[in-house]
Amino acid sequence: MTRYLTEGPVTADRITSEINKLSLRKDCGGHSIFLGQVRDDLSEGIRIGAIEYSAYEEMVNAEAGKIKKIIFTEFSDVLEIVILHAIGKVMAGEISMFVLVSAGHRDHATRACRQTVELIKERLPVWKKEIFDDETHKWQENG
Amino acid sequence: MKIKVLFFGVLSEVTGTGTKVYRDVKSIEHLNQIVTDDFPEVIHYKFKISLNNEIINGDAELKNGDEVAFLPPFAGG
Repeated sequence: MTRYLTEGPVTADRITSEINKLSLRKDCGGHSIFLGQVRDDLSEGIRIGAIEYSAYEEMVNAEAGKIKKIIFTEFSDVLEIVILHAIGKVMAGEISMFVLVSAGHRDHATRACRQTVELIKERLPVWKKEIFDDETHKWQENG
Repeated sequence: MKIKVLFFGVLSEVTGTGTKVYRDVKSIEHLNQIVTDDFPEVIHYKFKISLNNEIINGDAELKNGDEVAFLPPFAGG
């Protein structure tokens, strides 16, 4: 599996592990984290119980690399970018995506994190199937 | 000549398969026609096509070993 995908939800242990690595760098002054979570929305009166994610793994590698290049170019103070997306089943309340951007200062960290999330939604070849409490499902797409 | 074709998202359900191998396919447009003949329901769905991990707009020649993917709109994040 590519380093940008993880089977099942992104766990607290994995997030903690990435945060622990931050102390290895002494040139960063700010880190911005985004966590995407599965919400138990209602769709036509039926509650979403989980989302099942699938991905084109090879292309995820290629596109995540391009996203990072775009961000490093646009935000010169950014030093590290971590992108991790769940594949497989993620229950409502669990984490489906983790983005961590480290920079010399907070301005680029926060703005670059936001931009990274937007580029992931636009470019990463990932699909999601909403699974409802009655076991029916519906494919979704980003707006 | 062998082309590997991948179907993702809703198209994997519509075609009933994630992967299919086609032979003697000259171009993306030719492949699109063959896939539509095999799986007529596909025309009701929006999708882009990638060739060897790059999204293709318009036609392109195919060669042995190419990998083509039918990609519905993304939904990550």
